[in-house]
Amino acid sequence: MIRYLALMVAAFLAGFGSGKALHAEELVTALSSDLVSIQSNFTGTDIVIFGQVARDVNSISRSGDYDLVIIVEGPPQEVTTRRKGRFLGVWVNRYYETFEDVPSFYALVSTVKVSELGSRELLDKHRIGLNHLNLAIARRSSVPLSERDDFRQAFLRLRQQQGLFSERPGEIEFLTSTMFRTNVPLPANIPVGTYKVKSFLLHQGSLLSKTEAQLHVAKTGFEQVTFNLAQKMPIAYGLLAVFLAIFTGWLASVIFKKD
Amino acid sequence: MRCDELRQPIVQLYLPIAEIPVNIFVIFGMGGAVGFLSGLFGIGGGFLLTPLLIFSGIPPAVSVATVTTQVVASSASAVISYWRRKAIDFKLAIMLLIGGVTGSSLGVMLFDLLQSLGQLDLVISLSYVTFLGTIGGLMLFESIRAIRRRKTGAKVTARRPGQHNWIHGLPFKMRFRQSKLYVSVIPVLGLGGIIGFLGTVLGIGGGFMMVPALIYLLRVPTSVVIGTSLFQILFTMSSATVLHAVSTQTVDIVLALTLMIGGVIGAQFGARMGQNLRGDQLRLLLALLVLGVGLRFAIDLLLTPKDLYSIAIITGAGS
Repeated sequence: MIRYLALMVAAFLAGFGSGKALHAEELVTALSSDLVSIQSNFTGTDIVIFGQVARDVNSISRSGDYDLVIIVEGPPQEVTTRRKGRFLGVWVNRYYETFEDVPSFYALVSTVKVSELGSRELLDKHRIGLNHLNLAIARRSSVPLSERDDFRQAFLRLRQQQGLFSERPGEIEFLTSTMFRTNVPLPANIPVGTYKVKSFLLHQGSLLSKTEAQLHVAKTGFEQVTFNLAQKMPIAYGLLAVFLAIFTGWLASVIFKKD
Repeated sequence: MRCDELRQPIVQLYLPIAEIPVNIFVIFGMGGAVGFLSGLFGIGGGFLLTPLLIFSGIPPAVSVATVTTQVVASSASAVISYWRRKAIDFKLAIMLLIGGVTGSSLGVMLFDLLQSLGQLDLVISLSYVTFLGTIGGLMLFESIRAIRRRKTGAKVTARRPGQHNWIHGLPFKMRFRQSKLYVSVIPVLGLGGIIGFLGTVLGIGGGFMMVPALIYLLRVPTSVVIGTSLFQILFTMSSATVLHAVSTQTVDIVLALTLMIGGVIGAQFGARMGQNLRGDQLRLLLALLVLGVGLRFAIDLLLTPKDLYSIAIITGAGS
């Protein structure tokens, strides 16, 4: 609780400190932690995002509510989506489509549904919403144009099933009229790397302010040592694995010899 | 996804290479069950464990590479107990190994080719169906005939030293004292080569093919076959572990250790139980097991899949 309060105070101070803003309204955000460390007992975690809509004293107050969107986006990937088809009575992977520059993780929380936030151009430009990710096709494609959307939809559906993509409207909690809080669950299967936490403040379809923060997801301790050894000294790692295996086998035969 | 079912608190263990948490007891149990069968039948168990791991949500590349390490532990444990009983023909095993290494190098080339064509999965599934179906069927047929012969009281002549087939007419003969054999080295090297080749392409040790081939083609006594086959598998899989670690970096040492601890314990019980079962009964059980796995692959190929689509990470985070 003390930590939460401290963060809120920090958010407040940061808000008042930036009086030279170009916009009349400015968005200030803070993360509960900027490092997610993965250890042997890692089963996923939550990150909490706090923020405040700081309003210039001189600005006229606008009518209607503000809309907020917060996106946690993982490092980019190139992903192939395949579709099975029947060939000589057997189901085989027949068609495929490769998407480039796809986020490995994408969690969106917003005050209202994505479609109500603003124009298509705006959403596409800032990659707000699963349907506005701009899934660009890499290299050649074996898929006819009319079926390309099926592959996009299948990709988004599979990623949502894995818990790596999500869209949660109405999940931002307002603590006061200008302060808000939300939490984004990070599942256990998240890839490591540098994540972006983007926040957007909108009003009646126009973007007023945005912020971007970094979140690091990294292995620590034994997990990091093991991973580094496998990457940097693969021969030693392989021999270690063989030695460990033979030793385990030998140990078992010694233990079981007695009876 | 199946891995959701495995996701419970307390017993979770995060795998550093596979990058997912797993239920430690489920993995331990899988290792134990497959280890038991491996000790019982003298097989590496790779053809059972690899699909099991993939079905429980572990990435296929990690599954294939890590299983080779588990097979090393499992076969090392069994090799030692067969060694004590002097049930290994080392000369025969080394000859098989020479053929095996040659076959493996050719297998790696085909593996790369198929992967670049994007049809590796299909070839693996079809090969599993073909080889498991054929070998399982042959073994089932033969073992039922042997059991029936024994039951009706007919004289069992499993091995007649004077019996010859075309293999015994080949040149470059070599004497294998332990197996009481005097055969040409050509079929021995050839057998090692073919199984090394198939084993590399399919990501398995090949014991389930080696054991019947040694029995039916070379007429190696059943008592020596299992130990010899396991000895050969131990060396093939050790080198495969190092090759996987170097080329794909997908050997997960934490997953391997969990599997192998379960596996070696299971293998000890299996090896002991195998001593109390008749050869023909063992072969009948192994035949049913092999046919079962083959059938599972055939069903996957023939039935309409639940989801036609699948995704695979090519480059970037988590690939």
